Formats: sequence, structure tokens, C-alpha cells
Amino acid sequence: MFERLEISKRAYALASFAMTRQAAVSANVANADTPGYKAVDTPDFAAAYQDGAGLEPRATRNSHLARPNAEQTFEIAASRQPGNESPNGNTVSLETEMLKGADLRQSYDMALAIAKSTSSILRASLGRR
Amino acid sequence: MGDLFGTLAASASGMQAQALRLRYVSENIANADTPGFRRKTAAFEEVFGGGEKTGLVELGPVELDKTELVSIYDPGHPLADTTGHYDGSNVDLVIEIADAREAQRSYEANLKMFDQARQMSASLLDLLRK
Repeated sequence: MFERLEISKRAYALASFAMTRQAAVSANVANADTPGYKAVDTPDFAAAYQDGAGLEPRATRNSHLARPNAEQTFEIAASRQPGNESPNGNTVSLETEMLKGADLRQSYDMALAIAKSTSSILRASLGRR
Repeated sequence: MGDLFGTLAASASGMQAQALRLRYVSENIANADTPGFRRKTAAFEEVFGGGEKTGLVELGPVELDKTELVSIYDPGHPLADTTGHYDGSNVDLVIEIADAREAQRSYEANLKMFDQARQMSASLLDLLRK
């Protein structure tokens, strides 16, 4: 029951989104001086997050199969940032990457804070501190 | 979690490549007055693993700058030819300093990303510990 809580599912998705984006940002920063390198990024969380509600089959009995591996993954794809290209064909802007880094850090911290408070509510309902 | 180690590896490879670049720069500066020395350059290259991008970076093979060596007039020099000239190095200190600055800036950006990824994994583990 509790592992299917919508709020914790969403928080988990946000944390995993932030980690994926961190991977993209780190790859961009590492390749900031590589000639011909094209910057990569993930789409916005709002655009990429698939809300499973509505189409999800319900498991009403124990013998019903749960939805197989509903874990959400996020894709890293090449991003177009017109005007950023340097003469050697590299499209990474360190400033943009730093901004994205700060932004995803904030999302990640928020997701973890939500997960933490959800788990403390569950703990309280179990009578533990 | 698997993502995170890839992230750390990417930042670490970036720092390593920038450090190596800084080493070539200091070699060039150290040899700025060596007769016949050609400055060393190396280009950054993406690392591919199994035909796919890994996000890592490495420094390519060292190449020597092919610009003309500077001809210096000094008849008293042991290497001077009959006209009193000898070949100096083709190191331009201004270019080297600019290169060093860029390497430093990129290194710091990589370090920042590495630190951030590390802190993120630490705060995740903190959550599990409670």
C-alpha cells in the first residue's frame, strides 16, 4: 500500500530526474573544451514525467499482477543552444551548466526532503520516532 | 545510483585531462628559451565505449606546433649559423598563459560538479541511515 503512494513516487521520480540531469551536466562540463562536442540535456521534468494515473490497471486481489517495473527513466539527448557555438564547434556554455547544476541541486534537495517527511509520517503512524 | 558513479567518473576524467593540459602548458613555458623547441599541443577527445558516448573526456596524442621557429640574431651563440642567426622556440608566452587560465577555469568547474555529485550521494545515504 505505502510503496504506491503518489507523492513518494513523484518525489522519487524528481530525485532520479535530478541525478540524470547531473550526469548530463557533468558530461558537458568535462567536455567543455572538446572540439566539435555537442551539449546534451534532459527535457524538463514537467514534460518528461509521465503521470501513470488513469490508465493504470488496479490490483484488487493478491493474485493480480502488479504493474511491471513502473520506474520512470529519463532520456539524455543532444540539446540545441543556438548562439553558444564556439569556433571549434563546441556548444557548451559553462555558465549555463552552472545554472543548471544549481537548479537540479535544488530539485534534488526538495525531492529528498519530501521523501524524508513522508517516511517520518509513516514512522509516526507505526508509533516510532 | 548507477548514474551517479558515471557522473563522478566524467568529472574526474575532466579534471585529469585539464591537469594534463596544464602540464603541457608548463612544459612549453619552461622551454620558451630552448633553441629549436616546438610547443606541444593536444586536443580533447570524447571517450567512446562500445560505440556509445560515455560522457568521459581524454586528452588526445601530443602534437607539435608546426609554426615557424623564431629566428634570433646572436652571432655569439654556439648554435648561430654563418649569418649569425639561430632557431629559437615557437612558444608564445601570451598564448600559454591564456591556455593555462582556461585550463584552470575548466578544472574548477569540473571540481564543482564532482563535489556536487558527491554531496548528492551523501545526502541520499543520510536519508537511508535514519
